[in-house]
Amino acid sequence: MAAAVRRVVRASRAWSAALRAREAPGAQTLRLIYTTTTVQKRNVAALGPEKYTEAFIKNQIEEFNLGKRHLANMMGEDPETFTQEDIDKAIAYLFPSGLFEKRARPIMKEIYGKLLDIQKYQDHLRAQGLLAENRKKINLIGSRWLIKEELEDMLVEKLSDHDYSTCIQLLERLVTLPCCGIEEEYVLKFRRELAIQLKKMVIEPLQYDEQGVAFSTGEGKRKTSRATAVVYDHGSGKITVNGVDYLCYFPVMQDREQLMFPFQFLDRLGIHDMVCTVSGGGRSSQAGAIRLASARALCSFISENEVEFMRQAGLLTPDPRIKERKKPGQEGARRKFTWKKR
Amino acid sequence: MAAPMAGRLAALGRRLAAPARAWLPGLTQVRWSRYGPSYLEPVVNKEVNRKPLEELSEEEKTQQELKALHPIKATASNVTSSVFSDPTISKFTNMMMKGGNKVLARSIVTQTLEGIKRKQLEKYYQASEEERESIECNPYIIFHQALKNCQPVIGIYNIQKGGKTYQVPSPLKDNRKRFLAMKWLITECREHKHHRTFMHEKLSQELLQAFNNEGPVIKRKHDMHKMAEANRAYAHYRWW
Repeated sequence: MAAAVRRVVRASRAWSAALRAREAPGAQTLRLIYTTTTVQKRNVAALGPEKYTEAFIKNQIEEFNLGKRHLANMMGEDPETFTQEDIDKAIAYLFPSGLFEKRARPIMKEIYGKLLDIQKYQDHLRAQGLLAENRKKINLIGSRWLIKEELEDMLVEKLSDHDYSTCIQLLERLVTLPCCGIEEEYVLKFRRELAIQLKKMVIEPLQYDEQGVAFSTGEGKRKTSRATAVVYDHGSGKITVNGVDYLCYFPVMQDREQLMFPFQFLDRLGIHDMVCTVSGGGRSSQAGAIRLASARALCSFISENEVEFMRQAGLLTPDPRIKERKKPGQEGARRKFTWKKR
Repeated sequence: MAAPMAGRLAALGRRLAAPARAWLPGLTQVRWSRYGPSYLEPVVNKEVNRKPLEELSEEEKTQQELKALHPIKATASNVTSSVFSDPTISKFTNMMMKGGNKVLARSIVTQTLEGIKRKQLEKYYQASEEERESIECNPYIIFHQALKNCQPVIGIYNIQKGGKTYQVPSPLKDNRKRFLAMKWLITECREHKHHRTFMHEKLSQELLQAFNNEGPVIKRKHDMHKMAEANRAYAHYRWW
């Protein structure tokens, strides 16, 4: 609404949106481990002086006209015949202290009002001595706060990042109060359901070969290694890697432990046979790739609960860690050149 | 409205760049982590899954619901669900490792445990019936007990105040205690070892001594305690 007035709107640089699609668990977990210094601040000097291009001016005029129509709608006047004096009168009516009075800025009065209501209710209960029994908390598990885009859609106005984070902070504060249950439906308007992670996984059905033995294939990767594993039923725990026995291919105990891990976790060590092919990477990453492939193949043999247990043990996530790139001006990814005083 | 929104969410969710936002509720911020902020740590213990639904407390139920909704990180390559994988031993192996040579470090540690077992068994067979009960033969138990005996209770921090550096005594966190115990053990074995003795021999010797609350590592722990006691006067310089 304020943008509709003759004010030059600065295009605010959007922050890195990598955090948008996140899910917030219940209000208990507020663990800030590190505050990054790589925040994209608005480098005003780098932008250069404000450039009044044709497109920019046209944009501003369009926004102004749109805002004028909104204002006319609000005042109940006809948008077509809304003159400049009408605009001035409307602004004087809506903002008695003027547009730029700092103390008259709207600061999420609705949410703050709810917070004050809850506090008043709590004080009321405390005065009667009934606070301990009447605690009503909102269940926040299974939902996340709205992201900035969703909140902008809901309020039909543009928000800055600071406004958004203040709004979420206020909502979090509201949720920590013991009697917040009375405003539950209002708070739930700002939450979205989270999908259950297990449903996102696709489990292949079992296949049967000529002898009638059930088998299943899985693919896995780790760093630059790629592996495919075929797990057969009714076996004796034999594992063949690239045509070679696993004892010869992986002389190191740690790699063999990794191969055994999914089977040992499900207590199916001597039941299955495995034939796998792997290429790329070193010995540890090849072992990790085969582990992922065999875990995925095993999903077809077991129940859904066990798949969920495997997922929670970290067996079904592909490890996203890769070799970090070397940066210019440094010797390696992290190592800097030797510092010389002169 | 729903389709473009879902598309936008998916596009934003696909970005792997490090987060640029300072704070948001309920999320652990980590710099340069390839995992997103909502990934939880994996739990490898098999027994956790065996418990039936009724035995779980309220907190565990909420934890379970939380886990069902969040993605989980991949387990590290030195962790398995077998009874033989021990987090303390893994940490010790990593601290022993030089230049990424995990194979060598792990072989030293296994030989150490074997050495401990052999020495204890020798003592066991030579001892009389009454003494046999008191001799501990499990190398893992000896290892854990020895490390516990080496852990200092209070530590020293260097605080600069008014141009002078004071040694201020302060209680230590658990992680720091464990780290110091392992570090002292390893440095002691590396420095005060005859160049003809093997590392695993020296280590097993030191571990058995530490198990009996004697030896140079225990002495170092006591020295640290004495220093802390001597610098008691500066304890009020601590602000944390």
